[in-house]
Amino acid sequence: MTGRLTALLDTLLPGDGADWPAAGAHGLAVHAATLADDMLGGAEAMAAVLDALPQGFADLPQLRREEFLHEIEAQDAARFDAVITAAYNAYYTDPAIRDIIERLTGYPNRPPQPEGYVLDQFDESLLDAVKARGPIWRPVD
Amino acid sequence: MTQTADIVIVGAGAAGLAFAWAAVAPGIKVVVLEAGGHVDQRVAPSLASDWELALQTTFNANPNLRRGAADYPVDDSESVIRPAIFNAVGGSTIRWGAHFPRLRPSDFRKRTLDGVAADWPVSYKDLEPFYDLNDEIMGVSGLAGDPGNPPRAPRSCPPLPLCPATRLLAAAYDRLGWHWWPSDAAILSRARGTREACNNCGPCGVGCPRHARASADIAYLGVAQAQGVELRPGAVVTKLERLGHDITDVHYVDANGPARLSCGEVVMAGNALGNARLLTGIIDNPLFGCGLMLHPTAIVTGLFKHNQQSWRGAFASALVSQEFYESDESRGFIGGLQLQALRGQGPLTTALGGYGLRLPWGQRHKEDFVARFGHSLSLTVTCDDLPEGANRIALHATQTDRHGLPVPRMIYRVGENSQKMLDYGIKRASEALREAGARQIAVNPLVRNGGFHLMGTARMGVDDHAGVTDARGRVHGMNNLSIVDASTFVTAAAVNPTPTLQAIALRAGTAMRDGKITQRAIA
Repeated sequence: MTGRLTALLDTLLPGDGADWPAAGAHGLAVHAATLADDMLGGAEAMAAVLDALPQGFADLPQLRREEFLHEIEAQDAARFDAVITAAYNAYYTDPAIRDIIERLTGYPNRPPQPEGYVLDQFDESLLDAVKARGPIWRPVD
Repeated sequence: MTQTADIVIVGAGAAGLAFAWAAVAPGIKVVVLEAGGHVDQRVAPSLASDWELALQTTFNANPNLRRGAADYPVDDSESVIRPAIFNAVGGSTIRWGAHFPRLRPSDFRKRTLDGVAADWPVSYKDLEPFYDLNDEIMGVSGLAGDPGNPPRAPRSCPPLPLCPATRLLAAAYDRLGWHWWPSDAAILSRARGTREACNNCGPCGVGCPRHARASADIAYLGVAQAQGVELRPGAVVTKLERLGHDITDVHYVDANGPARLSCGEVVMAGNALGNARLLTGIIDNPLFGCGLMLHPTAIVTGLFKHNQQSWRGAFASALVSQEFYESDESRGFIGGLQLQALRGQGPLTTALGGYGLRLPWGQRHKEDFVARFGHSLSLTVTCDDLPEGANRIALHATQTDRHGLPVPRMIYRVGENSQKMLDYGIKRASEALREAGARQIAVNPLVRNGGFHLMGTARMGVDDHAGVTDARGRVHGMNNLSIVDASTFVTAAAVNPTPTLQAIALRAGTAMRDGKITQRAIA
């Protein structure tokens, strides 16, 4: 199962040859399967999608693999959606992938808390134009 | 053994805890029964890098997917919008963005001003002192002087700051000549007591380990308990026992098994879904359950060329535009809407679609991710939904939960007027985001997981022909039964209901405390 799942992940989230590794090659198959198990109906969805893959799927070129997956997605969108969620969950919570995200976007590879970010002051002068226009609410008796 | 309480409150959420705090006094025994347990926000998921997974599991807003110990199933098969409620001490304020707007005076006079729905039997002026009191207790950051609303008392903390993307939006609103104002937020921008100041981390919706973001448990529970309020968490109310026009006993089950409370007053604060499970058969008013309003919401997302780092800052509390709030016949619909800015989301949630469409899998995925993550700013189009008889809460004929209580059914479609409002709001939101510099616009025309404001199914009215309850939540025709949550709203307005439902609860609780308790428990 792991080999087929690795190929599936590599097709869903392929590497770009530069910054991003492919999800399967990055070794996320076991983690993705575990995260699917945690989802309502996730394990069953994962099994169904893997069962629907043709023999030799892993040896096909990327575009051909994508064609097969599009067919499966069209036939059973709900289950396929669950598999995508599991794949994205594994990929975007992986520490090494988060390092890449930090390098490319500036989003720090750390939890939001306890550090957070600097809380600046609100600049009230930004409101000058709004204030100048006057009230817009309807008074009632 | 039969226990007694002068006031039994069902539900320890925003309304229930505010009511408890207001109603308790020496000699008055107040007991709050809450099906859920405590959520320790000091260990919130945002302390871990994989915090976004919690949004799909323990902090999933949909009880049918979350399936926590206190959750009951909701049949949403006849609703285009799914339920979004949280069952715990603190209620849905555990899982919220703390956006904290008030209704406008005109919202209470819809029949008089616009000829639709009904006027409330209470006015903005009646509620204003309780709005102010509630703001102080919850801890509100904001700025007085909003020309979109009546003058109000200075906020206890200065407003939360804008970020690069919301500064672009504010400037766009100025160029368009539209109203905008920093959100009132139940989030402290300055430390107060044991609560630290916000540190701008972003994911308020999974709880706040600094307690900067208010929730009802943080703001009200401690002070209420200090005055004698007793909370019983994990207590699932299974039945109200009625004798004539009185509720005599409240039956519940907790870890110790079945129990019964003989009660003087019963106050329901369990939201429209929870209340329906217990009050159907008790309340025989045909209005009960009908007129469900949900705030149908669209989300329009603008993508900017440059990285705005829009993951920084409280996700739902930045700024609002109420330029299109009041009715204007030339727009082709009655009522109005609010545009509320939403900041960007975390990397996983962005990949999964955030407020819009999931990023495509395959070879385009990474390119799309880099183009979107941190580059987005969204606007909600929050509509002043009108009460329609066909939209309602009912009970499933056969399905029950594990306690034998009937499963509630949510029956809701977007009405014609609301749909026109959504369509109009989507155009205005798109216009604003383009003016702000967004190079691509994505529209989610209806947030399916947006059933967070359940209003109108036990609406107030001057008598039992006009409403289910009176202005203080007392159920018409009953001597000692009240409802104090958003189900008593007469109209929906176009803003989040929490400050208003808490103000109503404080007003009702104060009245009950100040000698207006009609029933006292007999030991």
